[in-house]
Amino acid sequence: MDHNSLTLLAHGFAQVMMPVNLLFLVVGIVLGLLVAVLPGLTLVMGVVLALPFTYSMAVTPAIILLTAMYVSGTYAGAWTSILFRVPGEPIDVPLLWDGYPMARKGEAAKALGWTLLAAFFGGMVAATTMVLLAQPVAKIALTFSSPEYFAIIFFGLASVVSLGGGTLANALISLFAGILLATVGVDDTYGAHRFTFGVPILADGIDYLVVMVGAYGLGEVFMRMEQGFQSPQLARTGDIRTRLPRLTEALAMKATFIRGALAGIVIGIVPGAGATVASFLSYGIEAQYGKRRHKMGTGIPEGIVAPQVAATASVGGALIPLVTMGIPGSGATAIILGAFLLHGLQPGPQVFQTSSHIIYALFASVFVGIIVMCAIGYFATKYMVKVLDLPEVIVSAYVVMCCLLGAFAARNNLTDVWMMVIFGIIGYLFERFRFPITPMVLGVILGPLAEANFMTTMISFENDWTVLFTRPVASAIMAIAIITLIYPLFRYLRHQGKGRR
Amino acid sequence: MSAPHSARLRRLAPYALAGGAGMFLFYVATQFDFHRRGGTLGPDFWPKLILALLVIVCACEFARILFAKNPDADIGNVLEAIAEDADSSEPVAPPAPAARHPWRLLAGMAATLAYVALVATTGFFLTTAAYLAAFLVIGGYRNRRVIAALSIGGALLLMFIFMKLVYVSLPLGSGPFAEFTFLLMKIMGIR
Repeated sequence: MDHNSLTLLAHGFAQVMMPVNLLFLVVGIVLGLLVAVLPGLTLVMGVVLALPFTYSMAVTPAIILLTAMYVSGTYAGAWTSILFRVPGEPIDVPLLWDGYPMARKGEAAKALGWTLLAAFFGGMVAATTMVLLAQPVAKIALTFSSPEYFAIIFFGLASVVSLGGGTLANALISLFAGILLATVGVDDTYGAHRFTFGVPILADGIDYLVVMVGAYGLGEVFMRMEQGFQSPQLARTGDIRTRLPRLTEALAMKATFIRGALAGIVIGIVPGAGATVASFLSYGIEAQYGKRRHKMGTGIPEGIVAPQVAATASVGGALIPLVTMGIPGSGATAIILGAFLLHGLQPGPQVFQTSSHIIYALFASVFVGIIVMCAIGYFATKYMVKVLDLPEVIVSAYVVMCCLLGAFAARNNLTDVWMMVIFGIIGYLFERFRFPITPMVLGVILGPLAEANFMTTMISFENDWTVLFTRPVASAIMAIAIITLIYPLFRYLRHQGKGRR
Repeated sequence: MSAPHSARLRRLAPYALAGGAGMFLFYVATQFDFHRRGGTLGPDFWPKLILALLVIVCACEFARILFAKNPDADIGNVLEAIAEDADSSEPVAPPAPAARHPWRLLAGMAATLAYVALVATTGFFLTTAAYLAAFLVIGGYRNRRVIAALSIGGALLLMFIFMKLVYVSLPLGSGPFAEFTFLLMKIMGIR
């Protein structure tokens, strides 16, 4: 890390410590923690709902608020998993497997302590890695041409299909639907109307924020409405406290911490994968290679540390492709990208020359956010889990209002609200029929980038698509992407073969 | 028709629908109006490529469900595989299937569509207060005082935040509704 980067980071810290920015950081952390605790709200949904409140803000506090929510959203769901066997988010499902048994053994305070330490370690290691890697990655990205960019985006799309939820066919259909939605409107190069069906409002295209707000926010509320807003039945717990492990205990588990952090950072960097994949994968690695792998699932700290370290570490990883290449790898980073674009900033390799002070403020906010998050986690878990007493229907009513206002406020346009409601219904139907939403959303976001880079490649190389497999970097990424895509099919055929035998 | 047969047909429906839509949109893409430049791919190439892939995936899944010996064995993704391999905790009874309330859902969707249709005419405050109250009732909440407080108070709070602090020009309504909105704005100090 050069002297210039250190100076910029110091300036970033100074910006974050300004009273207004610090206030938004604390607000973001608290909101992220609350969103993670409530089972009906996911991390991405929380960040989506917060976006309209940032429209009138300056870019730095807006980015700080959303990033703080993203960071803390990976942590607090662990509390309810451990204490009540209620995962606040899909990320927290692996925490059930050892966290809840540990709490039942009377070690809830210790389990919460391990979670806190894991989130702190994972977050800090990933934030440091992010700062160290960002500039070099941006420099490499500057040398990339359209085939390399297309290969990276293709890898992201392949990852979201292969690593997300649902079956392979459903994930692919969802992805194609998203990419097609992104083609609606007037084509930039030829001025051709694509899938507008003579409807003037479709000529402007479909804004991905409208798709996200509808599919993630309203769709989820409709789903819960159909289920009758059944709040979880909470088990009675004693005094809720957090007891940090001793240094010797933590050092004895250093391998678990390091494995989890590495898994989280790598998975975070992969476009399309996110905290949920990181959490599951890290638990899987620990169950396969950990020193006490045979005891996993019986209530041991390794089963808490591995997924939590990875989930929080994935945040730092996911911010790297966002700021260095302008490619959001997850739903939450797509919203943060949206906030950048709303303020006229395009993340990418050039951003370090044009707006480095904002990028380093974002980096610094991750460090400060993790410290604030852990402090709140240590002192306020008891009070924050009380939010679970709130009837789900009330929370949902306000979630819907935030969705409606969010869609309207972006352009002061009721057409966007209609679109959002339509995508809410589509989101509900997707969930109802087990089609994952994330591939569609990432398809809408990455689709235009994929098309633009593909078409540029075709123009530059005289329609020779083999260039994607002959240039060294592009071909390596394409190969990994194809392996990622066909792995589930290979696994299926192997299982079928075993079944026949 | 036997039960497994009808279950298989139900499973086929989404793929038939998606595949059919894909073929229709492919036809639409062939009708795009543009002047083709020699040696370049037109604006129809990318959507056609995606639509062709969509139709192929639907056809493959269709054939798999129709002809596979065990059509329920889906091609799961990596996350499901990891979860299967990693979950070593003691087995627990599967959760009871959630009760379905289709009428509640339809009422909620209808209320939301009505909200969007009416808000330009009746203004943000009145429509929002009515919508919040309706949503809570549809959602099964029955405490009238809380419903009144949350709907009226919530609508006022949202109006204050968005119009006074976030500077969003929310729908004012028309005629007497607009006058009512202006009165509220005056009381709240919104210009």
